[in-house]
Amino acid sequence: MSTQLRGSILPKWFAAALAMLSIGAALLIENTTNVSGIGGTTALAVVLYLVLQTAWSFTVEGRRHAVDRLFATLIYSSFVAAALPLATLIWQVVHKGIAQFNANFLSHSMRSVSPSKPGGGIYHALLGTLEQVGIATLIAVPIGILTAIYLVEYSRGGRLGKWISFFVDVMTGVPSIVAGLFIYTAFILTFGMERSGFAASLSLTILMMPVIVRATEEMLKIVPADLREASLALGIPQWKTILRIVLPTAIGGIITGVMLSVARVAGETAPLLLTTFLSQSINSNPFAGPQAAIPTFIWDQISSATPASLDRAWAGALTLILLIMIFYGTAKLIARYYAPKA
Amino acid sequence: MKLTRIAIATVAIATTLSLTACGSDNNSGSSAAPTGAGASGSLKASGSSAQKNAMADWINSFQTANPGATIDYQANGSGAGVQDFNNSQTDFAGSDSPLKPEEATAAATRCSGNNAIDIPMVGGAIALAYNIDGVDSLVLDPKTAAAIFTGAITKWNDPAIAALNSGVTLPNATIATFHRSDSSGTTDNFTKWLIATTPSTYTLAGGKDWVAPGGQGAKGSDGVASSIATTKNSIGYVELSFVQTQKLKAAKIDNGGGAVEATSDAAAKTIAAATVSGTGNDLSLTIDRTVKDGASYPIVLVTYEITCEKGLAAAQSALVKSFLTFTASDEAQSALSSAGYVPITGDLLTKVRAAVAAIS
Repeated sequence: MSTQLRGSILPKWFAAALAMLSIGAALLIENTTNVSGIGGTTALAVVLYLVLQTAWSFTVEGRRHAVDRLFATLIYSSFVAAALPLATLIWQVVHKGIAQFNANFLSHSMRSVSPSKPGGGIYHALLGTLEQVGIATLIAVPIGILTAIYLVEYSRGGRLGKWISFFVDVMTGVPSIVAGLFIYTAFILTFGMERSGFAASLSLTILMMPVIVRATEEMLKIVPADLREASLALGIPQWKTILRIVLPTAIGGIITGVMLSVARVAGETAPLLLTTFLSQSINSNPFAGPQAAIPTFIWDQISSATPASLDRAWAGALTLILLIMIFYGTAKLIARYYAPKA
Repeated sequence: MKLTRIAIATVAIATTLSLTACGSDNNSGSSAAPTGAGASGSLKASGSSAQKNAMADWINSFQTANPGATIDYQANGSGAGVQDFNNSQTDFAGSDSPLKPEEATAAATRCSGNNAIDIPMVGGAIALAYNIDGVDSLVLDPKTAAAIFTGAITKWNDPAIAALNSGVTLPNATIATFHRSDSSGTTDNFTKWLIATTPSTYTLAGGKDWVAPGGQGAKGSDGVASSIATTKNSIGYVELSFVQTQKLKAAKIDNGGGAVEATSDAAAKTIAAATVSGTGNDLSLTIDRTVKDGASYPIVLVTYEITCEKGLAAAQSALVKSFLTFTASDEAQSALSSAGYVPITGDLLTKVRAAVAAIS
């Protein structure tokens, strides 16, 4: 035995060599047997790599290093497996959507554009989505924030508060199509309301509200009780304490929660199919007449199934992703701007 | 602090307003409105997805000729279309099948006590599309088609198929059949043809859902067409327009009077020969799917527009009449063939025009 303190360690180039070996072996197996497809080959290469590395490391470095390397590799490959679908999705949408995505696409409607011919645009749907989501936000934000304030500041574990909490949880799990069906049966069929952008806003409100209540509740809970007590001790009434001390402290997180709920509902398709009437023309009035939205625009273009309309559907998907990224970005900026200065 | 907020709000509002102002409905590239523009107002219609692209092209032509008019057609399926119409959400419905008695009762309420009428407007042909290397011409009769789709015949070189195709070398390969996995009017009309022509071979139930055992399902006409295109030795039933767009080969159908190629013209003959089973201006059709004249293609479907004969609000009624008059015109009907649809022709078209003229 040598007298050095460190045991033997695998050389630095081993990982690269082993990876190439595994990929080579996997490709060989793919070509000689009937295992096929990129997914199968990748999985095979990863498994081969794990087995070979553990065996090699075990014989050279001993058990502790072998287990350490095994788990490090498992954790890295899990991260790649989790990020891969997102990366592929974004690549697909950008790759296929970029062809139609231009200024003309953003500034024109689909009025009088044949499904089989290129041209036209998403403007009418973009406008519809902004209006519908905007109205939904206007309704859901005050109700959601006030509910959360009641739960945290007034109810304090009371019976009514518990019931409200329970129902908010139930509402979080309501599938979006059910929200659409509710508006469809309650407002459109019963009261004979016209299918419109506003009906869509109402169904989106149902989906937004629980998200806002939950996010705001969590933010209000982490406002230190010392701040409230200090304010109350100075003789300031509770409503003023909430308005001037509690809300400003939590405002960054609340705005983030609101923006996240906006991003969540902007891509909802199911409730819109029941509550709006699809239009190919611009309609800036959400209260009357057919109005398009981006998700229904994408759905409509896919169901036409011509090469030109599929291009438009991809460009529409790209627009939707960009719009939601803008919402997220704005949320981050606002949250940073309003964050309490330490 | 206050100033910054006001500035942000102002910028936000200004952006929204400018966004509202910059969009355009004009996709024709010219700004001059056609002179003598007549109809104006807006119509809503929904229903059959089979006539979606035909309707889209008609609406485009109509709106271009009448810039004041806006028509929106939502292809949410025949059943939903009829329901929307009966709930007064739309001004007319597109449907693969005429109104059922209970739907007609509800429609009469919607039309303030008057009858709703079925007007056949768009026809379609269902092709038996196949993909066999080296076989450019294939003839099938109802019996062999039924046997293939129910799994009684499993090889392309089966004696029953070979007997219909003398001179064609068929491979000794297993037949892969494709059918619609979703509920569809195509399946309904295809099985109606099988039941009408060969009830002894095809003993299963018809309807919108495929019930025969075996074969592979694919969603939508595009799904079936692309499955056939990518699978060797396969066959499936799909609308003629998809055969054209996917560049597939379609079998000739021999109902007993000679093989007929699947073309828009041959299918138009079958539709024109249909008898009207509705009363008055209701033109619901009974199609003779056993036609044996050697010139009519027998596997067809017809989609209807359903609207009130009388009883719509005056403005809506005038616009529906004006639009349907356009869709029944020679110009609109002849445009159907190039999109893979089948035009309404002959006496039937005359009856359609009379029914549209009676709308008030």
